[in-house]
Amino acid sequence: MFTYLLMTNVFIKKSQVRLNRINRGESLVTKKNENIDTERKSIGSELLLPVAALCFTIYYFSTITDVPWTAQVSAVIVGSILILLVLLFITRCIRSLYTGEGAFNFDTLLEPRSFVGKRIALLALTIGYIFAVSTLGFTITTFFFLSLAMLLLGGRQKWRIILTLSTILTLGGYLIFIVAFKTRFPAGPFEKLMEGLF
Amino acid sequence: MDHDLVFFGELFLRTLSFWWVIIPAIFIGLIVGALPGFSAANTIIILLPLTLAMEPEIGLTFMVALYASSRMGAGIPAILFNIPGTAGAAATPLDGYPMTKKGRGQQALTMSFVASIAGGLFTTIIALVALPWLSQVAYYLHSVEMIVIMFFGISLIATIAAKDTLKGLIAGFFGLMIGFIGADVVYETPRGTFGFLELYDKVPLIPALVGLFAVSEAFVFIEKRQIVVEKDQGLQMTGWSQTIEGLRIALSKWWHIIWNSLIGLVIGVIPGAGASIASFVAYQQSKTFSKTPELYGTGHVEGLIAPESANNGVTSGTLVPLLVIGIPGGATAAIMLVVLQYHGVTIGPDLFMQYPGLAFGPFAAMAVTYALMILTVLPLARYMSNITIVSTVYLAPVIISFTLVGSFVPRGYLFDMNLALVFGVIGYVARKTGYHVAAILIGVILGPLMEMYFLRAMKMSMGDITVIFSSTIGNTLWLFLLISLAVPYVIEYRRKKTILPGEIEE
Repeated sequence: MFTYLLMTNVFIKKSQVRLNRINRGESLVTKKNENIDTERKSIGSELLLPVAALCFTIYYFSTITDVPWTAQVSAVIVGSILILLVLLFITRCIRSLYTGEGAFNFDTLLEPRSFVGKRIALLALTIGYIFAVSTLGFTITTFFFLSLAMLLLGGRQKWRIILTLSTILTLGGYLIFIVAFKTRFPAGPFEKLMEGLF
Repeated sequence: MDHDLVFFGELFLRTLSFWWVIIPAIFIGLIVGALPGFSAANTIIILLPLTLAMEPEIGLTFMVALYASSRMGAGIPAILFNIPGTAGAAATPLDGYPMTKKGRGQQALTMSFVASIAGGLFTTIIALVALPWLSQVAYYLHSVEMIVIMFFGISLIATIAAKDTLKGLIAGFFGLMIGFIGADVVYETPRGTFGFLELYDKVPLIPALVGLFAVSEAFVFIEKRQIVVEKDQGLQMTGWSQTIEGLRIALSKWWHIIWNSLIGLVIGVIPGAGASIASFVAYQQSKTFSKTPELYGTGHVEGLIAPESANNGVTSGTLVPLLVIGIPGGATAAIMLVVLQYHGVTIGPDLFMQYPGLAFGPFAAMAVTYALMILTVLPLARYMSNITIVSTVYLAPVIISFTLVGSFVPRGYLFDMNLALVFGVIGYVARKTGYHVAAILIGVILGPLMEMYFLRAMKMSMGDITVIFSSTIGNTLWLFLLISLAVPYVIEYRRKKTILPGEIEE
């Protein structure tokens, strides 16, 4: 069992080296001196999730102080292990800051910076979609969301293709999900208007 | 229930009667598998409202067929354009693309299809035959053992699938904590709900699934921009003779297909060890034991067949832990578990007694899918050499809108769409900073189950926490868990010690 795990792990590490290179869009043809990773770790980005996990665990603990032990035990065990893991990770981060392997920034999260504006705009559109869909219904909201988001991502010069694609996808979604499968999608003026037809 | 030949015969015939679901799923899977960066899991999530509306057996058949064919579809751009459709096909271009460059693209596609179909079919039948025995394992697993198995599953995913074990563990345990949100089953006390009534009945799994997988991936997707590939000389459409030649060559390597698909099956059973690992392990061992290792990487037939048969062997392997002990080994298995839970089906030994069609059905569906692929996909190899990859940037808005609405469907709460967006942000941060998203989701799924087993164990032991070390099977599993966590560090330590100064690792 140990030997098997050992062998598997060696293969996995090799696989991961290759997968990382594929993810970075590099060639699989090896040049030995290309493998030196000169990039510094973006500690700020890497700490976001553990810190969120830590805050959530502390908050969770605060909500179970009055419940009987049997209802606490699983959370206490898992939460304690999680806190320990996060503290280990923070220690590792501090060490890498000290040795110069890491830098306190949010580069990993923000890169590529040319897309920051588009990401924020798409997030704003998504929030707008969630709020509008309960009033305007699936079909109208989806059409506007698809058109605006595609214009944002694909460029305004392709507006004819984008409008055609949005119409086809929205009507296709309406016909498949709502008409054919009677799925409980949010209904609005369009769905109510078409109710008599289907 | 006696699972004899008559039972399996009836099961296959019943599954075959779902051909109207399987054939469209094959083509959808083939297309989405061929789209680089677009996973089968995403498509399954987009189509979740349909799947939930179907009978659970038909819904599962649809998901399985789509999953199996997407695995094969991922090999198409890997062979034709040197761009793997998914990470599971990352080893395919090593020998597949050089074949295309030599003008043997159609042959390579045919060989890849034969290896995928034959490997997938063979391992599915093996898994199906072994399942009645494997299902007995669940009878030996009680509350204490199940707790250890859940920790073991999370730690295996962290050790094997995640690039960084510590980050993988943090992701898995964070998922478990999220899974503990809600009122406890005995005392109805709300815990960690942030005051939201909608969270009293635990975190709904479908918004978590939609957010962590689909929404977060869509936001990462827009950064990949677009991939437009020019056709090169290897992609010229030739006659049927190339397909027939490819078929002949692949079938002559039947032993290679069987062996590598078995490697895929075994690796697939280990939670977290997915198709990407299986394909590289298969490629590596194929090269190691080959008489002509120097030919690997130059367009060698065995170098193409090994990863393709292995990554299709994984498809059936990942379903084994899900159906036997209820632990999903990967993203697609986790989605299937969510769908089964939505329909009120509990995984475990009772599943094989109460719903044998559901327990054995996914494997029968997979076998029928692979069999139908012989008729539907294999002849298409000739025409697929005309495929060009176009802009994928338009897919992100489609994924976001359709999946968000999908998260609204099960409960009809607007809150669930907001929750999906919150999980989307968590998933996006996790993806960008190297935390394993599937580990978080599996944690969220296992959280309530782990809590239930803890509660049972505590009741049995009158609140004594040491009960989790009271069983022999459980203690053996604890030991394996510790070994699995220690092994990567031991290897890393040994590797650092053996590397000479100035030597650079490949």
